[in-house]
Amino acid sequence: MDAESKLKQLYRSIILGYNKNPYHYEEMESPDHEIEAYNPLCGDKYKLFLQIEDGRIKKASFSGFGCAISKASTSILVKRLEGMKLDEIAPMKEEFLNIAFEGAPTEDEEFEAFAAAKAFPGRSTCVSLSWDSLQEWLDQQ
Amino acid sequence: MSTITADTTSLDVQAIRSDFPILEREMRNKPMVFLDSAASSQKPDSVVKAMDYYYQQQNANVHRGVYQLSQEATDAYEKGRHLVQGFINAASEKEVLFVRGTTEGINLVASSYGRKFLQEGDEVIISAMEHHSNIVPWQLICEQTGAKLRVIPVTDEGELIMEEYEQMLNERTKIVAVVHVSNTLGTINPVERIIELAHAKDIPVLLDGAQAIPHLKIDVQALDVDFYTFSGHKMFGPTGIGILYGKEKWLNAMPPYQGGGEMIETVSFEKTTFNELPHKFEAGTPDIAGAVGLGAAVEYMEQIGHEAIQKHEHDLLVYGTEALSKIPGIRLIGTAEDKASVISFLLDGAHPYDVGTILDQMGIAVRTGHHCTQPLMDRYGIPGTVRASFAVYNTKEDIDRLVEGVRRAAKMLA
Repeated sequence: MDAESKLKQLYRSIILGYNKNPYHYEEMESPDHEIEAYNPLCGDKYKLFLQIEDGRIKKASFSGFGCAISKASTSILVKRLEGMKLDEIAPMKEEFLNIAFEGAPTEDEEFEAFAAAKAFPGRSTCVSLSWDSLQEWLDQQ
Repeated sequence: MSTITADTTSLDVQAIRSDFPILEREMRNKPMVFLDSAASSQKPDSVVKAMDYYYQQQNANVHRGVYQLSQEATDAYEKGRHLVQGFINAASEKEVLFVRGTTEGINLVASSYGRKFLQEGDEVIISAMEHHSNIVPWQLICEQTGAKLRVIPVTDEGELIMEEYEQMLNERTKIVAVVHVSNTLGTINPVERIIELAHAKDIPVLLDGAQAIPHLKIDVQALDVDFYTFSGHKMFGPTGIGILYGKEKWLNAMPPYQGGGEMIETVSFEKTTFNELPHKFEAGTPDIAGAVGLGAAVEYMEQIGHEAIQKHEHDLLVYGTEALSKIPGIRLIGTAEDKASVISFLLDGAHPYDVGTILDQMGIAVRTGHHCTQPLMDRYGIPGTVRASFAVYNTKEDIDRLVEGVRRAAKMLA
């Protein structure tokens, strides 16, 4: 694939769409948990807000700034988290990272949009930033 | 070495490019456009060859052996110091210390000067446009001594607010440490005035010259600066070597920074006395090949000539600023009157990393991010910038490619 096509794969409408219209991109007034996702190397910084009821995420939102890739990835994460049990998060993260970095086959179009990031090793932390931070938080629970 | 025309203000950029084999490389199947010299410049053949020759023909430890090879290595190392002394017009070689780079130069002064002269309630003045390397070392010594850090603010255009600086200077101020040329904004600060105002109150001044040394003629005596520090790798020399210039009176008054070999006169378990300058501050086996390479870089720059370098880079700056300004949605960060060849910008609605990735796919290397100046990014309320920086080997064609790339990025990310 030439450089131009690789770029077009990366900056597909799914990623650009979520970058422009991120899901629940707002601070939560009284969240049960607030998780910071920060990459000091590039300066990307998000806050994830979770409202949890009976071990299930009732509502999720996020705020902060970063590149199109990290913002879209965080946006999709937040959207998927809603309604999810806490113990379902780790398997979902594994599935997402397998698709994004290992090229695992999938019919999940939103996850698949990040598979193009494989051609851009410098951008892999943009893809996984919020997912990794959430995992770190989960590990401490 | 390239042929230089008799006119000292013009240069043959193609001849200069031929001194840098790396510039012939392709990136992403396209001729590489290297616009990140402010992070690290490329190295001419002569620098690489000088270091090769040292390792292949002269390698031995310095200031130690009685044998001929060690003497040759010492001569090669000290020749580097001699060349730098002339390059910055230091009064004596004793005032020219080899360090690893600008960061170490600042850490040396902050630690050594700080331990000796800073006390609780004292003040250190820096500016809002400092690189982290001229913030953190001062924070560390302030924590240890109880001194306080004060920060000269900047205008929206990226210039220091000199009235505020003037008011900040007082009897508690023990040192002023500011950047000569901003790595993020390109601003050339009015360092003569900064020094004059500080000296009127007997306060010494350190200048971070990392971004000034590749562009401007530095005369430490004319500036009357107390400390001036810079890195070799931003001025066509190798990584791992840099210079701290310090006035002899300060260097004599300051305690050693690191202990070890080379920096001692006599050692016993009861008491150690220290070697004379500059060795007092050069503990351990130094980066000998680095000093040789830095010397070759000095010779390279002197052969081209500062006037020619400055004129060429200024032409690129003017050309680039004008061309980039025409792109819809672009915002230049840093529009000071007096600028070095650095252009920082943002594209409406696009994050610098995304722009950088698209430019990279077109074979164009730029810097993206906060450029180690987070407080400055906070000042402007931005996450970072895209930064293109130009060196003597860049051309207007490079800038044309950049402009084409930025237009493409704007379209793609729209």
